[in-house]
Amino acid sequence: MSSPRKSRKKKKEDASHTASAASNNVLVTNNKSSAAHPAFPLVSVLWPARRSTSQWVTIPLILIVVGLFRWTAGFWGYSGFNVPPLFGDFEAQRHWMEVTIHLPISQWYFYDLEYWGLDYPPLTAYHSWLLGNIGSFINPKWFALTSSRGFEDQLLKVYMRATVLVSEYLTYIPAVIILNRALASHRGVPKWESTIALLAILMQPSTILIDYAHFQYNTVMLGFVLASLASIMAGRHLWACVLFVASLCFKQMALYYTPAVAAYLMGISLAPRPSMSRFMAIAAVTLLSFAVFFAPLVLGSLYDAHRGISPTPGLKTPLPPLLVSSLPSSLSRDSFLYSALLQLTQSIHRIFPFARGIFEDKVANFWCALHTFHKLTPYSKPMIQQISLLITLASILPASMLISSFPRRELVPWAMASSAWGFFMCSFQVHEKSVLLPLLPMTIMLGADGGLGSEIRAWVGWANMLGVWTLFPLLKRDELRVPYAVLSLLWAYLLSLPPTSWSLYLGPQPRNGGLRPATRVLHLAFYVVMIAWHGLEAFVKTPEGKPDLWVVLNVLVGAAGFGICYLWCTWQLILKSGILDEHFRFRARVEADKTKKKQ
Amino acid sequence: MADSYPTIAQCAVITTALKVLLFPAYKSTDFEVHRNWLAVTYSLPIQNWYYERTSEWTLDYPPFFAYFEWLLSQLARYVDPAILEINNLNYDHWKVVYFQRASVIGSEMMLVYALHRFVQSSPSTSKSAANAVAISILLSPALLIIDHIHFQYNGFLYGILVLSLVLARKQSTVLLSGLSFAVLLCFKHIYLYLAPAYVFYLLRVYCLSQKSILRIRFGNCLKLATGLGLTLGAAFGPFLYLGQIDQVLNRLFPFSRGLCHAYWAPNVWAMYSFLDKVLLFGETLNEPIQSV
Repeated sequence: MSSPRKSRKKKKEDASHTASAASNNVLVTNNKSSAAHPAFPLVSVLWPARRSTSQWVTIPLILIVVGLFRWTAGFWGYSGFNVPPLFGDFEAQRHWMEVTIHLPISQWYFYDLEYWGLDYPPLTAYHSWLLGNIGSFINPKWFALTSSRGFEDQLLKVYMRATVLVSEYLTYIPAVIILNRALASHRGVPKWESTIALLAILMQPSTILIDYAHFQYNTVMLGFVLASLASIMAGRHLWACVLFVASLCFKQMALYYTPAVAAYLMGISLAPRPSMSRFMAIAAVTLLSFAVFFAPLVLGSLYDAHRGISPTPGLKTPLPPLLVSSLPSSLSRDSFLYSALLQLTQSIHRIFPFARGIFEDKVANFWCALHTFHKLTPYSKPMIQQISLLITLASILPASMLISSFPRRELVPWAMASSAWGFFMCSFQVHEKSVLLPLLPMTIMLGADGGLGSEIRAWVGWANMLGVWTLFPLLKRDELRVPYAVLSLLWAYLLSLPPTSWSLYLGPQPRNGGLRPATRVLHLAFYVVMIAWHGLEAFVKTPEGKPDLWVVLNVLVGAAGFGICYLWCTWQLILKSGILDEHFRFRARVEADKTKKKQ
Repeated sequence: MADSYPTIAQCAVITTALKVLLFPAYKSTDFEVHRNWLAVTYSLPIQNWYYERTSEWTLDYPPFFAYFEWLLSQLARYVDPAILEINNLNYDHWKVVYFQRASVIGSEMMLVYALHRFVQSSPSTSKSAANAVAISILLSPALLIIDHIHFQYNGFLYGILVLSLVLARKQSTVLLSGLSFAVLLCFKHIYLYLAPAYVFYLLRVYCLSQKSILRIRFGNCLKLATGLGLTLGAAFGPFLYLGQIDQVLNRLFPFSRGLCHAYWAPNVWAMYSFLDKVLLFGETLNEPIQSV
């Protein structure tokens, strides 16, 4: 039981010019009655704990409450419910459990690729194997090979939802708690305020809706990423490598963060003194981690080859994809090296499906928005791929360069956010669900210094509301409109965001660190558009010949908003890195001189 | 009000979110019971309400609850008329589920209001304790499970009960307290369990003089009697007029059902039944020996 206030270590340079000088004290507003009272409902909820309630009481309670909301979200529909022949993500995950427990490991990436072929890295496959085995204990029919396709059973749904919950509580939840604590203690944020931020982060609507309703296992990947970030905050860079590689090997989407993390690790190897040993250690640990995670796949396939099991029974052993033209002709199909190579290339080919188009469904990124006005179909695929690569590289360049030049640990989340937004906006085959990736580093900043103040709360709140709003067309298909409305409105209510409360934007602004008028106008405009769009979407029929008009509008508004988020995150990184400090100091000196001259 | 956070209203918003998420959860036969009562009170004239037997879930709550169901049925008509057909047994389209579950949440606002009055009327030294008590009632897991999953309408009834208790705090509103309890009894007669307490309390505090237990305050007794008469009259009056009071009482107190419910309540009769079964079992063990 510690005292509620710790001494705050604040850097002197931050005082005047950074936009986020909002102190974290903006939790209690003193009005005429001079009594402190909560600034937004989430503070009220934890108000009884503000004196000296032990974390051993508050954290378990928080975990139980958020668990309740997660589980009840699971009562609703899931992706692909009752939609033969292919169903949806739920069936995909169930199918992978079926495939991994019945087939030898060398066939995992080859089996019936048209029906939900495995397209995530091996850790997902091992995870599915484990869950499939446990599930088969309960009812083997759920995962019986082939005959269980499209199996829809109430108990199966309960089991699958439970696997998401357990997976999250073993990976994401501990990582969030530890990272939140690290961010708070880095700048002396009081424990109570840190706990409020934790509750806000855990009630993030988009994560709950995608993982517990639509059905995915994103929180495992996100958990590893956060654990990696927590390791960076603790200065344990080798562990950060291992955990980041783990997240990459669970879901390849973690690539969105790679530029930032890699640039940071490069940065700390070069500053304050170039340290070859550190660089070598990082490189070695990274390679070793990849090797360890891919080892079961490779070794298993070698063993299968030894037993004479082919990856594609009944067909000729295929050529390794991606290497078809450069395969040395002396490599025979029977050699061990061939099997290993085949598995590696096949898994990578499945994980990075360049054969697919630039976008699959409508997603709020640059390409989809461009396609609305200027059709991309006449351009050849390789050309678009190359342009996309170039633009993506350009977008992540600021973040990578800044973080490698100023490798301070508190800047890493901002760099990750900027890099992830860049990838989301410009990259290849982006799914709407990937919006979870850029939103994560932004949302955890609620737990950092100033996180619950007006500025960051407004921006993070706006980004999250926009993010969940762009997920609406996807959720509508899964009959998840009610959970969407409940969870997003509840989160908005808890943090006093529109549409439940306009006080953050229209109410009186605190003296230091309120919102700038430009920010207020921008966010308000977006909120009004989002609300109006819902009205249109629900009650107005689209004009003839344009059945997707509302979805396209959603995409355009979303793309614009996310572009702004990218700019804001990058700007925050620029400001906090101190690269403009010289400029601000110069400006301040000029201003001081001017006022002196006037006197 | 520095220490009264979170407020009842804030808790109500958060729990309402959870309760809406519970819409697709398991529902027991009680759901069909209430749908049936919506249908009965809407589709049939009042003289048939306590005689209707198309569904096995006959009306067995006092008349105020029947009037409440009738009110709800007026709204149900606009949501989905199929709810109100008597022969539409076990109808569980999402419209009827959402409607009924929403009606539980809506009527529970009575409890929220009553708890708010409870906190307000507490002395200022114990306001935060009163707030804590009120929140723990609002968040009660048993109430959540029974009302919003299993499906019943206990929330607003407890609201009336809490209101009646709040009214009993001040001497000037004791009569209202008694009358609101009478109203509650006419909603759900299970609150008879509490009736003796009310009877003796009202007797002592309202009907008899405060200074001496031997002096009767006839004015108050008259007021109480009139009030009770009006309340019971409003409830049972129509059925008294129709000569159906026997049938109504039969439905309300179904002694033919036996001592124990299908699922035993943990009470004395359960122990009696259990002992009975044990002895029966013992007897069947004894028999073969005796018949020799």
